[in-house]
Amino acid sequence: MLGEKTLKIFVFISAASVLLLLFVFASTLLWKSLPSIRVFGYKFLTGTTWDPISESFSALPFLVGTLVTSFLALLISFPFSLAIGVVLGEYFNTGVWSYFFRSLIELLAGIPSVVYGFWGLSFLVPRVRDLQVKFGVMPYGVGIFTSALVLAIMIIPFSALMLREMIYLVPKKYKEAALALGATRFEMIWKVALPYARSGIFAGFMLALGRAMGETMAVTMVIGNSNDFPRSIFSPGNTMSSLVANEFAEVSDNFYLSTIIQVALLLFLVTIFINIISKYITRKLSVRSSL
Amino acid sequence: MKNDIFFRKLQSSFFFLVMLVLSLMVFLPLICILYYVISRGIKAINLDFFTQIPSHVGDSGGGVLNAIMGSFYMVFLSIIIAVPWGLSAGIFLYDAPDDSRFAYLLRLSVDIIQSIPSIVIGIVAYVWFVMPMQKFSALSGSFALAIMMLPMIVRSTEETLRLIPKTLKEASLALGVPHYTTLFKIMIPSGVSGILTGGALSIGRVVGETAPLIFTAFGSPYLVHNILKPMDALPLLIYNCAMSPYESWHTLAWGASLILIFFTLCINLLIKIIVKKWEVVL
Amino acid sequence: MSNKILDIKNLNAFYQNHQILHDVTLNFFSNKATAIMGPSGCGKTTFIRCINRMHELDPKAKVTGEIILHNQNTLDMDSILVRRKIGMVFQRANPFPTMSIYDNVLAGYKLNGIKKSRDEKDEIVQDSLEKAGLWHEVKDFLHRKGTLLSGGQQQRLCIARSLAMKTEILLLDEPTSALDPYATANIEELIEELKKDVTIIIVTHNMSQAARVTDYTAFLYEGKLIEFGETEKLFTVPKHKMTEEYLAGRFG
Repeated sequence: MLGEKTLKIFVFISAASVLLLLFVFASTLLWKSLPSIRVFGYKFLTGTTWDPISESFSALPFLVGTLVTSFLALLISFPFSLAIGVVLGEYFNTGVWSYFFRSLIELLAGIPSVVYGFWGLSFLVPRVRDLQVKFGVMPYGVGIFTSALVLAIMIIPFSALMLREMIYLVPKKYKEAALALGATRFEMIWKVALPYARSGIFAGFMLALGRAMGETMAVTMVIGNSNDFPRSIFSPGNTMSSLVANEFAEVSDNFYLSTIIQVALLLFLVTIFINIISKYITRKLSVRSSL
Repeated sequence: MKNDIFFRKLQSSFFFLVMLVLSLMVFLPLICILYYVISRGIKAINLDFFTQIPSHVGDSGGGVLNAIMGSFYMVFLSIIIAVPWGLSAGIFLYDAPDDSRFAYLLRLSVDIIQSIPSIVIGIVAYVWFVMPMQKFSALSGSFALAIMMLPMIVRSTEETLRLIPKTLKEASLALGVPHYTTLFKIMIPSGVSGILTGGALSIGRVVGETAPLIFTAFGSPYLVHNILKPMDALPLLIYNCAMSPYESWHTLAWGASLILIFFTLCINLLIKIIVKKWEVVL
Repeated sequence: MSNKILDIKNLNAFYQNHQILHDVTLNFFSNKATAIMGPSGCGKTTFIRCINRMHELDPKAKVTGEIILHNQNTLDMDSILVRRKIGMVFQRANPFPTMSIYDNVLAGYKLNGIKKSRDEKDEIVQDSLEKAGLWHEVKDFLHRKGTLLSGGQQQRLCIARSLAMKTEILLLDEPTSALDPYATANIEELIEELKKDVTIIIVTHNMSQAARVTDYTAFLYEGKLIEFGETEKLFTVPKHKMTEEYLAGRFG
């Protein structure tokens, strides 16, 4: 049997080492990015080229790639997530069908990223290519739009289930008050439930946005892996995460590695920022609802 | 007036219809993905698939035993790293006083770690393990996966413990049982269902992860039992085969996708069973 | 008069800046039952939680004074050793849900890592359950979960769990407040039996219960000891006006 003292020390060390882990983690990223930061400074965020041969590196195309793909994905997923949230949170919030529906959405959430990528590559890419031929743009098939499409499907479960929770948790007294005043169900949802849950809904979408930004494999497989600055949403590109995944295999020297790690650092900071905002909102909400 | 009510009722029904149609549309991609994975994956599934390693380029057949074993080893190892660690950090959070600054920082760190993109974890694991050891290894991959599991285990442990009535803790303390012994021997066993659920969820989260393994476990076409060597995993194999131009490897990748999804389904089922069967009656 | 077993001198208890107990001084006599009585919020639960050092579990709580057990101030002893000598039973029965009836009785030994042989264990379990009046009801299914018992049985299991540690003093914190009248009567009879082995201190806000089962009664009001004496005398000829009013049901 472990002694009391051993357990106490073990608990403390475990807790402290989680803090230490994060600290060393962030320091590692910063430390390994230093060579690149020293050379490029803020230009790392303003240039438009990433060229390993001439050693001219700027992460802007990928920062833009990440922002465009994830916001586009959010935009595409928005009506669907909202619809699922409303249907599961208000119309079918209990019972067998609701359970079944939710299980299927959980299944969607459980499909590994790499499988989404593979499916995107074999199913979506040819379809998008046909579409591009019709519209008369360069028929790459792969590209920012295709990535956003895959991402949209991937993030729907996260925002939808959170939205469902938020709409479901709108106190019954408000819903019933609205109905008692003669509002139709639509008016009740639109004018009472959704406005009441709006910050929760916002947090749900932020959570999904954070997911989309950090997502790697599915994007890497369908974005086309181009380091040029994307000209349109149909052109191939790279996100910060797909750049790291793709370029890592080609790392030839420490300086090149350092630039890639700096991109990872940038990605780290952006996703943390988004997630902290979302968590902050959720926490404030839970404080409010407990009052 | 009558018209107005009619219009409003119509609007309400129309809204419901639109919401229903939009939400049902989510099943289109789900069905499409499952159709692809099942119809193509089933062709790959046979005895060889589970007992052989991938065949050489161009040859058809072969299996993914190396990836199945690799996934098993790495997930198992990451559980060994993450569970005791996350469990005791969760106990610490449960135990800390409400106004503890340290606990606040720890909760913040757990939130941040949870939101780190998996590819970034992969890069750091590369810097920590692969660079000094100068070789890819299953161990470095497991560590990256363990970092991904950690936040979920910490949080589910803390939340589960908070749901257990305080009287149980007091009963043990009143018997003269020391504080931490009480936490480990009374509180943890009483919360076993919640903690196991958290553990299963975190396994579900990492078993399909590719990104943290690309630069750490790297992948290997051979059956490897040494955790200090490069090792394959199901998601890695899917990635490598999917990106290859060979039709026979694509088939392997679909087969691997099928068993990976099947595995995730099993984990979801397992969670439901755990919640039902292991629920401790308080 | 019997022997003093516990001698409490100038006990003060605090929570944050709030003083809960003010200079409480009284004795407990061995193999007697003493009731701690008073309106809710008078500090009676805090008082017995001080005796087995449970009050200090919260870092914001503080205790001063002396609680002398066998010429030793328990406040200077290791709190864990104190708790092994002074057992406690709570308002709500709280058998350990992961353990069988058998293991629940032995929980104090198991959790403290004290090894016992199979025969010793069987003996302790039977002895403790017999003392708690539960043996005949459960002897055929000792390996079932303790939480499957009825509320009154669970409470007696908790008493057996404390007795198994060979405690000298048993603190009962409103042990019957969550039980039906029949189970309450069972526990009250049990208290009479238990006095042969242990000293009992029982917190109750049920006056008739105090009158029925105890030898001594202490009346607390707003953290101060108002009156202490033999139960019979205190109930029939209270010395203090406040006690009289409380017994007459005028407050509380």
